[in-house]
Amino acid sequence: MSETALRPAARVVTRPSTPRKRRRRSAYARRQGRAGLAFVTPFMIIFTLIMIAPLGYAVYQSLYTTKLIGGTSFSGFANYSAVLQSGDFWGGVIRVIIFGGIQIPVMLAIAFFFATIFDLGVARWGPLFRAIYFIPFAVPIVVSSVMWGFLLDPAYGPFNHLMNAVGFHNFNWLSGNLMIPSIIIIAIWEWTGYNCIILYTALKSVPRDVIEAAILDDTPLWRIIVRIKLPMVRPAIIMLVFINTIGAMQLFIEPTILNNYQAGVVTNTWTPVIDIYSTAISNGQYQLGAAMAVVLAVIVVAISVASLGFRGRRRGQQ
Amino acid sequence: MSAISMEKLSKVYSSGVSALAGLDLEVRDGEFVVLVGPSGCGKTTTLRMVAGLESITSGTVRFGDLVVNDVSPRQRDVAMVFQNYALYPHLTVAENIGFALINKKVPKPDRERRVRSAAAALGLIDLLGRKPGQLSGGQRQRVAMGRAIVREPSVFLMDEPLSNLDAKLRVRMRSEVLRVHKAIGAATLYVTHDQVEAMTMGDRVAVLHDGELQQYATPRELYDRPANLFVAEFIGSPEMNLYEATVTDDELLLGSQRLSLGPARTLLAPYRGRTVIAGIRPEHLELVGGAGAGQAGMATLVADVRVVEELGDEAHVFFAIDATAAGASMLVAAAGDAEAGMLAGATHNGVAQINSRSAVRRGQQVTFRVDTGRMHFFDPDTSVAVPQMPG
Amino acid sequence: MSGASISAETRRERRRRERLAERDAAIPVELYGLKRGTVTALTTCCVLFALFTLAPVAWVIINSTKTQSNIFGSFGFWFASPFEFFHTFANLFRDIDGDGTYANWFLNTVLYSLSGGIGATVLAVLGGYGFARFEFRGSKVFFAIIIAGLLVPITLVAVPLYLAYAKVHLINSVWGMILPSMVVPVGLYLMRTYVELSIPRELIDAARIDGASELRIFLRIALPLMVPGLMTVLLLSVAGTWNNYILPLIIFSNNQLFPVTVGMGLWSQHAGNSGDANLYPLLVLGGLVTIVPMIALFALLQRYWRGGLLLGSVAN
Repeated sequence: MSETALRPAARVVTRPSTPRKRRRRSAYARRQGRAGLAFVTPFMIIFTLIMIAPLGYAVYQSLYTTKLIGGTSFSGFANYSAVLQSGDFWGGVIRVIIFGGIQIPVMLAIAFFFATIFDLGVARWGPLFRAIYFIPFAVPIVVSSVMWGFLLDPAYGPFNHLMNAVGFHNFNWLSGNLMIPSIIIIAIWEWTGYNCIILYTALKSVPRDVIEAAILDDTPLWRIIVRIKLPMVRPAIIMLVFINTIGAMQLFIEPTILNNYQAGVVTNTWTPVIDIYSTAISNGQYQLGAAMAVVLAVIVVAISVASLGFRGRRRGQQ
Repeated sequence: MSAISMEKLSKVYSSGVSALAGLDLEVRDGEFVVLVGPSGCGKTTTLRMVAGLESITSGTVRFGDLVVNDVSPRQRDVAMVFQNYALYPHLTVAENIGFALINKKVPKPDRERRVRSAAAALGLIDLLGRKPGQLSGGQRQRVAMGRAIVREPSVFLMDEPLSNLDAKLRVRMRSEVLRVHKAIGAATLYVTHDQVEAMTMGDRVAVLHDGELQQYATPRELYDRPANLFVAEFIGSPEMNLYEATVTDDELLLGSQRLSLGPARTLLAPYRGRTVIAGIRPEHLELVGGAGAGQAGMATLVADVRVVEELGDEAHVFFAIDATAAGASMLVAAAGDAEAGMLAGATHNGVAQINSRSAVRRGQQVTFRVDTGRMHFFDPDTSVAVPQMPG
Repeated sequence: MSGASISAETRRERRRRERLAERDAAIPVELYGLKRGTVTALTTCCVLFALFTLAPVAWVIINSTKTQSNIFGSFGFWFASPFEFFHTFANLFRDIDGDGTYANWFLNTVLYSLSGGIGATVLAVLGGYGFARFEFRGSKVFFAIIIAGLLVPITLVAVPLYLAYAKVHLINSVWGMILPSMVVPVGLYLMRTYVELSIPRELIDAARIDGASELRIFLRIALPLMVPGLMTVLLLSVAGTWNNYILPLIIFSNNQLFPVTVGMGLWSQHAGNSGDANLYPLLVLGGLVTIVPMIALFALLQRYWRGGLLLGSVAN
């Protein structure tokens, strides 16, 4: 046979053609699987301890009632029906829904506006502004509430003085009607930077040549933003709506702190989490509080998932 | 007046890197010009400067009589097919193709008609409702072309549009691209690193290297009369064989062997007594039998066979002679040249392309007839080709 | 890449080159076809929002130097004498009316954040690696459960945790704060995403074929590649615990164990209720001192934290 080296033709590789389900895991795969389990076990243990167990315990406790006389006894869904019939609780739920319904779109719009500016480079000193906008993320919510409390203080706050100077006398940022709008402003202050950075990173990952193609097609800038960039960062926006919704529904710290600057507006059922806190901790009604927390969790999940679907569908209709 | 003309076009990036150093090039109306060269040679930079996507450091670009240096890419009436196609992923094929027409405020019925005819020309009618994510590479490439042709531009630019396709598809798409070009008739500038694409598609081909133009001619010119060592090595597959040779009165000394020069004698008169770089294409070496079959008066080369690659009708014989190999050992691997993947341990310094009926084996000693009339010579210092006889 | 060994000049040169490369990589603004003055208008918008962002911070910095009466009396955005900064600062080290000492709270916060943050990072790194590069029964289910953990409101966990702690005498124990701080589902998710993006399977397979033990592969090959993602998760975990309010509020009744957040909340309450002596300057300065380390940490780890990782989690 001539010793000629054949040009490497397509190599035929034989593989055992066992159907996936019936394939027995080799010793190698099993050993590998054990190692993988070992890596995730530490997290799973603590996770179960800290999250799963308390959750289970809360659900369990919510089915019981403790009375002064008679001790603890199984009460089934009594706690739940009490929660569901509580006007105060639902008032709180409506309130945070209104809060989130205004705060989230406004904040996302502002964040997207600046993220686009940074991505396109159409304003000067972009990196400096990005760094500044991110500062509130490093501020604990308690501290920002305290700071804003000072600024909005009805008697001494500079922003109040500002309104007086412009002609609105006896203006109170923290009055009953303006408390939610004020908290919306605070929340926008706290969260816009974070959302902006995420959107900015998403915008930057749009491939450059797609935009260049649009430029060669003489697409005006607004169309590039609205019809190309915006749809391409849809996953990021959806995720942000999701995360922000979960946060908004759990409004607690800002009203609690602002209450110290203007008494009387924030009741102890003002938001669902405040309600849970006062019920379970302040009043010591743990089981009722647990039931409330479970109901809130269900509402949060429902609304978050709904917000995912809603956003997804709306954006889909170009 | 040419459709596109470039004068002393240069590009230096703000980081100091010089991508293009003074290019002079012109493309006639309806011509298909290929810019070819290895990565980093400046071909894509040139294309982007013509498009207006890259700023021009110095020099001018003209469309016809008009200097377009300061004209925005939006107004240049240029359509471009990108290497990665740059399709809008969230729009359907029809919307992708029609996108530019919406910008031009073309009324809906006209828009749909033009989109349909562009889609029909490229065999995309059945795919109009799909999104790019649901298409194969070849289909996406055609959508990218459709998007460009629907605009009926005066200048067509293509940035390596076929390099992301697999080899067989690439060969098929070559004729597709040319067919579309003929139908549109616009001047086209086509960038590739594949010299086979350049040779088979271009009306004229510009070879670039390190930001400088090496030669701008028809494919035949490039093949028959390469202007310098780089072009000689870059064009043609397998690569041209290059050796250091010494010139005597009427013979060429290649290692220990002498080749009678024949008509090439007069060409090399200035180099008598000196070294020159001699090149011979693999296809110009003819097998004339085993060792010792050399006949007096012919130009023959005796060589040791190291490796033989069978390709069916042809075979590539890798051999070694005792001459010194010359030329840049630049691997034109990017051209998909199979020989670039050399087998380890086979120390050869030449390739011959022969008819595979002649049974040649590794370890044999063979004799090749050399057609000295078709040899190429290059100055060893400047790498410029020694001028050949006309005709 | 150790920054310490590179001289300051080369670092500046490198940053300049990076900035130029970034500008080259971006589409030039001229191609967008903007009307004249748009850039100025947009820059103005940025400035306005920057003022909005910096206003509270500026206020805190300025007013931390004032006396209580001046905080209320003088113009909020400019200084007033006397310059009380150091006096107020000293008060941070004193126990105010039995509420506790700020310095104490600060140290607590550092303790909880660092131990919780480091613990969370270790767990996230191990777990993320395990989920990303190993296949074992139940891995998909476990991971789905962990992600579901993101949906759970804080109170649903904090309140029963408190009850559970009561039973195991973990009320008013630092571990009661640190352990929950080590559970950061987002951290695990980010690490898993990062491992999938930056550690090719082939690398690990090759090492396995060479006979290396899984532990060795993890320590020598995978871990060095995970460093940037690790830094992001560390940053987020530390920041998360630093800023945590509800959990410590619920589980701590001994104000010696409060972190700064809860302590400030307490002060705020007392200040509002009784117009207490000189609590306001402390509140303001305390807020300032709380912010500074976090901002410094973010600035320091800025190199790693480019938002790309957060996006990676979001894009999936």
